[in-house]
Amino acid sequence: MSQSRRLKIWRMRLWVFLAVVGPGFITANVDNDAGGIYTYSAAGAQFGYRLLWVMIPMTVALVVVQEMSARMGAVTGKGLSDLIREEYGFRITFFMMLGLVVTNFGNVVAEFAGIASSLELFHVSRYISVPAAGILVWFVVVKGSYKSVEKVFLAASFFYFAYIIAGVLAGPSWKEAFVATFRPPNRAAFHDSAYLYMIIAVVGTTIAPWMQFYLQSSIVEKGITARDYRASRWDVILGCLFTDIVAWFIVVACAATLYVHGVRQIRDAADAAQALRPLSNEFAYILFAAGLFNASLFAASILPISTAYTVCEGLGFESGVDQKFGEAKVFYWLYTLLLFAGGAVILVPNIPLVKISILSQVINGIVLPFVLIFMLLLVNKSELMGRYVNGTWFNVIAWATTIIMIGLTIAWFASGGGS
Amino acid sequence: MPSLALSQLIGAPVYDPSGTSPVGKVREVALVPQEDPHRVAAFVVKTRQGERLLGIKSVNAINGGVRADSLAGEWTAYAGGEGMLLLERDLLDQQIIDVHGRKVVRVNDIDIHEELGHDHLILKLSAVDVGARGAMRRLLKGVVPAAALRSMMEKLPPKLIPWEFVDLIETDPARRVKLKISLDRLSRLHPADIADIVEELAPAEREAVFQTLDEEVAAQTLEELDPKLQVSVLSSLDSDRAADIVEEMDPDAAADVLGDMPPETTDEILTEMEPEERAEVAELMTFEEDTAAGRMTTQYMALKAGAKVSDAVEMLRNFEGGLESVSTIYITGDHDKLLGQVPLAKVVLATPETPLMLLSTRHMPTIHPGADEKEVAELFDKYNLLTLPVIDDEGILTGVITADDVINMLRARL
Repeated sequence: MSQSRRLKIWRMRLWVFLAVVGPGFITANVDNDAGGIYTYSAAGAQFGYRLLWVMIPMTVALVVVQEMSARMGAVTGKGLSDLIREEYGFRITFFMMLGLVVTNFGNVVAEFAGIASSLELFHVSRYISVPAAGILVWFVVVKGSYKSVEKVFLAASFFYFAYIIAGVLAGPSWKEAFVATFRPPNRAAFHDSAYLYMIIAVVGTTIAPWMQFYLQSSIVEKGITARDYRASRWDVILGCLFTDIVAWFIVVACAATLYVHGVRQIRDAADAAQALRPLSNEFAYILFAAGLFNASLFAASILPISTAYTVCEGLGFESGVDQKFGEAKVFYWLYTLLLFAGGAVILVPNIPLVKISILSQVINGIVLPFVLIFMLLLVNKSELMGRYVNGTWFNVIAWATTIIMIGLTIAWFASGGGS
Repeated sequence: MPSLALSQLIGAPVYDPSGTSPVGKVREVALVPQEDPHRVAAFVVKTRQGERLLGIKSVNAINGGVRADSLAGEWTAYAGGEGMLLLERDLLDQQIIDVHGRKVVRVNDIDIHEELGHDHLILKLSAVDVGARGAMRRLLKGVVPAAALRSMMEKLPPKLIPWEFVDLIETDPARRVKLKISLDRLSRLHPADIADIVEELAPAEREAVFQTLDEEVAAQTLEELDPKLQVSVLSSLDSDRAADIVEEMDPDAAADVLGDMPPETTDEILTEMEPEERAEVAELMTFEEDTAAGRMTTQYMALKAGAKVSDAVEMLRNFEGGLESVSTIYITGDHDKLLGQVPLAKVVLATPETPLMLLSTRHMPTIHPGADEKEVAELFDKYNLLTLPVIDDEGILTGVITADDVINMLRARL
């Protein structure tokens, strides 16, 4: 083979890898959005290190579920809502989409909560930051080039390292943290409805239903096929690991500061950020706020439009920002309403930002089993997936996750939950 | 003519002459396209004795359920539906090609017309419902009483595609043959429109389309696809089918696609091609893509110095290249040296006996093969060109760049 040919092969391999990196990493990073940050912070503040044991099993489940999503996208070349429509018909798809809209609306509210409270740390009133952010996001997504913006956000994702730094600077008890990561609590803990609530929230924010739809669609859009899929796998796995490591540090940081000093409830970002202030320096405090803002804005740019695409494709409406308003009415209206109604909720006076954000993640956790059931049914169909159907272990882990989440929800209701 | 919806038929009770209680429920509505692509051939009925096939010839009427005139015990057992188009499985909620609207749509419901034949009912597929009416009906069927549902339907605007304008997509090649799915209507669209439709499909369906379309149509469509999709489609086809299609493409477009593919696949396809086409494409592949030479085509019209208008017309009749390349006819001398060029309009206006050299334009912008894209665009703009000959240092004509190449180039930067 000639020298130039050999070079060409390497260039091609590199391009394939770079082209393929992205969907998994982006999805995982958007995972640590405002809802995530609040939930992990509250988990640490309220329960100290006692929730850390969830992290490892949850990460395994996350990797399995995301990998299934990516595999389905690569092998079938279709989005999740398309597959559900083709295999299960209109009515089921309709109810799934309804559930998704409700869940994602909650998530959008959480993103704006993040934008509002992070900028309030810099003394910008939410009545300015929320509408401004909403309008900015709308224009960039609809009129602008989302792709170039995506690159900016991705680069800014390195702000997440700030949480790791903040976690280290908070001076936690490393031994206690590591022990708690590997040791589940005793049975009594599972009768505490607040504890169950938090577990559901933590899992719901990490394995959010909307992520599965988004990841599968991204894979399809990038044109990744069953052949190039192996590189995507690494993108997905690394993304999941990164996201959960960041999550672990957030829990530990808040456990080491707020919990230890008796601050058990977080009312807004200031509470979470304040904790870091006296113990570390201004730098960590600012990084936290900037990281929260970046995460919230990024998610607010992705979540509503992704929901609009998923719903329109599943139900057969015209969709796409390249279409004119008149050609794709349902699509544009759905997107606009999701975005602005979500923001409007935050502007209601005296609304408890953190409580609402955590509630939205609990809803994620409750809806998750339903999405997982469909994914499992689809990914095991050999007419659809050929030889890429789920292996035994993947089925075991995914079904276990589904059953555990349903169990946790029932246990929570039974133990007096439902405030 | 009363009209039924498929969603009303699926799950409907089936009665036979034996009594007033149903003997089963409709599970599927089947057509046999080789015999009649428009009419329902049979119902698949789920009875207590298993699944049975109720032929349309035994159906009297449909009111409140399907009324058969033969006993359930006499119906044949259902054996899998080979060679049958099953409406619920193959059409409902699936994607089809709307040839009239030039896009891919999803089937919400199917409208069926009832007619009374000599001794049995005739059910003809009239249209596919892709709009709100079908969606509403599917959603509320069984939940809202039939009369209320019907009045709701009246208020919603219908979005129907007549069955004649529908092209089915089937990914299994054996079934394609059995069901005679030929994409005839799709192939009559402009290749750019076919490309738009194909871009909306999932990879398996896209492959199916390129395996079914006629090579020439497939080649023209491939040329209009996004480069990434071009590579993906060609890689998914067998190398001999891929070679057949590449042979029908414009050599410069073919060279571009093959150049983007992994070398082993490119070699496989080149080996399967006819020697003449292979040589043309291979030659163009040696040039850098973003130079004049990388953009030019080697399919153009060229005649020797002594030729007349009548010779040009004759050559035009036999020309295999694209229409874009014929707007100018080139005149070459020894060793293909460029001597002159004649715009097609002049050829049309002159008498057959006129020597071509007489009609040649005085000014002849040309470009060197190594020139970059910017120079090419500048020349096209400055001299208002439709085509631009590429000549090397010795004045030999090596290829021609056409306006659509330049527009393609510029759009990539817009």
